Amino acid sequence: MNPNTNISQELLETVDRYINETMSIDELETFENKLKNDSAFKTQVDDIKTLLLGIESQSLKEELENFHNEIPQNLVEKKSAKVRFLQFRKIAVAASLVIALGSFWFFNQNSNDKLFANYFSPDPGLATTMGENSNYEFYDAMVNYKQGDYNTAISKWQQLQSIKPENDTLNYFLGVAHLANSNENKAIIHLEKTTMQAKSAFINEAYYYLGLAYLKTNNLQLAKKNLTFSTIENSKALLSELND
Amino acid sequence: MRKVDFTYNKTDNQSDIVTAIKANDNSVLKSIYTTNYHKIEVLVLKNNGTKDHAKDIYQDAFLAVWKNVKQDKFTPQSESAIHGYLYTIAKNKWMDYLRSKDYKKTIVSDQINDFNATVTDSEATDDDILKEHRLQGVMQAFKDLGEPCKSLLKQFYFDKKSMKDIANELQLDAASTRNKKYRCMQKLREIALKIEK
Repeated sequence: MNPNTNISQELLETVDRYINETMSIDELETFENKLKNDSAFKTQVDDIKTLLLGIESQSLKEELENFHNEIPQNLVEKKSAKVRFLQFRKIAVAASLVIALGSFWFFNQNSNDKLFANYFSPDPGLATTMGENSNYEFYDAMVNYKQGDYNTAISKWQQLQSIKPENDTLNYFLGVAHLANSNENKAIIHLEKTTMQAKSAFINEAYYYLGLAYLKTNNLQLAKKNLTFSTIENSKALLSELND
Repeated sequence: MRKVDFTYNKTDNQSDIVTAIKANDNSVLKSIYTTNYHKIEVLVLKNNGTKDHAKDIYQDAFLAVWKNVKQDKFTPQSESAIHGYLYTIAKNKWMDYLRSKDYKKTIVSDQINDFNATVTDSEATDDDILKEHRLQGVMQAFKDLGEPCKSLLKQFYFDKKSMKDIANELQLDAASTRNKKYRCMQKLREIALKIEK
């Protein structure tokens, strides 16, 4: 770096704009011409670029320590070690308890619950893709959702939703996640918000899950009403079972 | 068709991953980092290295990949292209280390096995070496730069936060924040110039 020239605030901010690609076409043209023809200017700009690259490189280098701590450690070993501690007898007792409780629950649930159980499966979710920042948080939560970690997904989406309270996509997935998490009343609030937006891409699914949510709360009237609005096959089938 | 309404201009995978890397997207960088480490650890451990060697060489390689993508010297066609590239660079760096004087001082060369590849890091010119030297100086300077300057510059240039958000956090107006950032840059430059001498 050249210690003899000084860098002005104006020049620094010009280079910021150049790097962030926020220059107007005119400004960009003038800037690039000057780079070509004025070698002192070019040296100054290169110095600034080196500073910026240094800041980013060192920041990333420090971040790598955090990444390193998040490398999954020999999962297989840990798993097999754990199983050894559980004795077969304990597993058998636990299994029979689960079966007993399960069948008790199965034979005792009322017909609405049964219908709900037959028809409800959580939305498969959206394909998670690489994107920009705000999407990242959304898709990050989507990964949790797909893994069945509804609580984490809900808390992440909730934060995004506080910024965009009426967003139909967020409300839809919050609704489905709450429903999958056996929290029908919260599901209803979010799904209602999605159905408010007639043009939403999720409108048919939203009505269907809303119908299911009302079915779970034994509110047959609203369940039927919402199911009629959905064009999904399952919705029609469930509706005809309810009308029988 | 299902659409998310806060969509971005998605073209294809290639530019997605390049865009994410250039934006220092934390989850993308972390995922690349954590996915590829074990392969390098296995390679280094098999070839007379320790876990600490593996970590050092891998982090060096990771920074090199990031820098090359950022400067358009390497444009991956897919995520797996990045994985392959990262592995190759790490492997070359480990070979260079094994061939280096530091290493040969302690180990006889016939113990070095399993390496057939002959690709070395692209031949560095004097100019490249000078540039790298300067960059290392700035990195050291930034490491030593005290707070609050370090955070301010990191938020703007690495996290790519907007000036407005940073100003809000600092409870300053935009002009003072921009001036503060400028003064931090001057401070960083002074330290870097001292290191370079």
